[in-house]
Amino acid sequence: MAIHVLIVDDEEDFLRALVMRLELRGMDAHGVMSGDEALKTLAERHFDVVVLDIKMPGMDGLDVLRAIRRSHPQVVVLVLTGHASQELNTEGRSLGAYDYLIKPVKLETIVERITTAVGHDPAEEGQ
Amino acid sequence: MERRYRQLAWRMTAAALLVALIPLYILGAGIYLYFQTVQRESYRNELQNLAINTANAMQLFLAERTATLEALAHAATAEHLARPGELRKLLRLLNRRRTSFLDLGIIDAQGNHLAYVGPYELQDHNYADSQWFDETMLDGVFISDIFLGHRGVPHLVIAVKHELGEQPWILRATIDPDVFFKLVRSAQLGTTGDAYIINRNGQLQTPSRFSAGVLEQAAFDVATAPPGVSVLETTRPDGTSVLTARAWLQDVHWLLVVDRDPSEPQASLLLARNTELALLAVGTILIVFAAMLQVRFLVRRLEAEDRKRATVEAQLAHSARLVSVGRMAAGVAHEINNPLAAIGELSGLLEDLIDDRFLESSPHAPLFRDNARKIQEHVERARTVTHRLLGFARRMEPRHDTVNINEVVEEALSFIERDAGFRNVNIERRLDTTIPVVETDRSQLQQVLLNLFNNALDAVAEGGRIIVQSKATKDTIEMAVGDSGTGIPKEIASRVFDPFFTTKGPGQGSGLGLSISHSIMQKLGGSLSFESEPGRGTVFRASLPRTTA
Repeated sequence: MAIHVLIVDDEEDFLRALVMRLELRGMDAHGVMSGDEALKTLAERHFDVVVLDIKMPGMDGLDVLRAIRRSHPQVVVLVLTGHASQELNTEGRSLGAYDYLIKPVKLETIVERITTAVGHDPAEEGQ
Repeated sequence: MERRYRQLAWRMTAAALLVALIPLYILGAGIYLYFQTVQRESYRNELQNLAINTANAMQLFLAERTATLEALAHAATAEHLARPGELRKLLRLLNRRRTSFLDLGIIDAQGNHLAYVGPYELQDHNYADSQWFDETMLDGVFISDIFLGHRGVPHLVIAVKHELGEQPWILRATIDPDVFFKLVRSAQLGTTGDAYIINRNGQLQTPSRFSAGVLEQAAFDVATAPPGVSVLETTRPDGTSVLTARAWLQDVHWLLVVDRDPSEPQASLLLARNTELALLAVGTILIVFAAMLQVRFLVRRLEAEDRKRATVEAQLAHSARLVSVGRMAAGVAHEINNPLAAIGELSGLLEDLIDDRFLESSPHAPLFRDNARKIQEHVERARTVTHRLLGFARRMEPRHDTVNINEVVEEALSFIERDAGFRNVNIERRLDTTIPVVETDRSQLQQVLLNLFNNALDAVAEGGRIIVQSKATKDTIEMAVGDSGTGIPKEIASRVFDPFFTTKGPGQGSGLGLSISHSIMQKLGGSLSFESEPGRGTVFRASLPRTTA
């Protein structure tokens, strides 16, 4: 069964490319460009993993993270941001983020973190 | 000492000396003035006593001679004395002890010599018109002023009248005044004192030491002298100011004058004065010495305090600069990360979408695929740069990262490897790959290592060698950075960690690198030390305590 991934990022080019590449790797990826949209989409559909940017216009990534932890505690959240700092890392993790990645990240790394996050090993699926 | 501290020291010393020396000198001047007053007073008394004593001695001398003649005159008759040989016998008798009677003569009431014995030819002389003859006949006794006799020798005449018989007669004697002169001379004190006798007409009766000879006119108005003994300040003809004592001699109406320069030092007072001056000098030297020592000590301490404060300020400024540079770097890195990520994903997507059909569609198609890969590789390169910048941007307070120091070494090395390459410097790694992790502040440790690497690179010549070692001991994790430079001379070894100490040229080194590194290592609970062999090179060792897992 494909992993359902929601990607939240205001950088459209990055978002579209990432979504397509994850889909090419067999995931069910969906991209949204704001926090509000993300929460709306989460309310409508089920996702295993949310890949979340922090600095976004409108709702901040950390607020989105708090909201997700409250409304969808079973969803795993990966923070993926260019605005890296130790404080953000610490805060993100304390809010329940599963991992914290700094852009740019190799796609393989993202895929690996997503799969380990949900406990799905692509090799197992193939069997 | 720096110029401004020297100036400060001088000003403080001057103030201290002023405060300490002025009272000392005022006291000294007071004592000196007191000594002078005492000396003047003692001179005055001394002089007065001398005048009185000398006057008394002279009066006694004259009285004795007069009394002798009176006794003779009354014990004998003129007839007896006039007998040939009798007067000569008497003169010999009088001069048995000391020759003071030069001649003797018997003169009758008419002024004729009845007899005479002596060196002069006075046998036939008649004195009836002489003033002394009249005075003797009138008063019974006559003492003459000093006069120059026929041979130009000063003389003195004493005459007494015999009144017992019907015919009065006179016994007359010429006295050698030499004893007299000696008496007066003995009152000439020190090197400046003078003593002489003046008769009522102002003629010198004894020679003056400085002004004039016997019978010359004295530069002194006798009439001004009050009766008895008096002391006053006068001026000598040559202009010296002197203290003068004057005493009248009763019977002869002579004035004894004794004077002396009061500034001529007196032995006992001179000693006291010299002792005082010596004490002043010693006191001055001691005070100057103590003041200079104390001021020096104070200024040294002040300078040390200032230096310490400057060090702290400079370290703060340095840290602040690092923080702001770090923030800027982080800002740049953040802004670049987002487009980098987009480029990476977009080119990744291109590569993902290139399939066999596309590859066959055009001879250039493989180039598309290769370039898409290359773009990702370059993104990867750029990523290492921005992530390293972010690593440096972390806060300056010590944090507790779990650190593999080999990684930190590699990160710091990556900063200098390019430079090292340009200068053909070989960097040799001797890293212990099994080294345990430590809990420490990664970015601060990185700063220390970067500093050591930069110094090592500056120290080695072209084609030199830098050895980087990491190892674990029982209690510590140690990083060593060795270079094949010229080493650190022994003379400056103790100052290497001093702030602002640098051997690099102006503008090339702040002199803070090792100082800050040293304090960082201490802050992290570790240490920084070095060993150097002049001519062979230097090894800096940074060690951290092993964290108990």
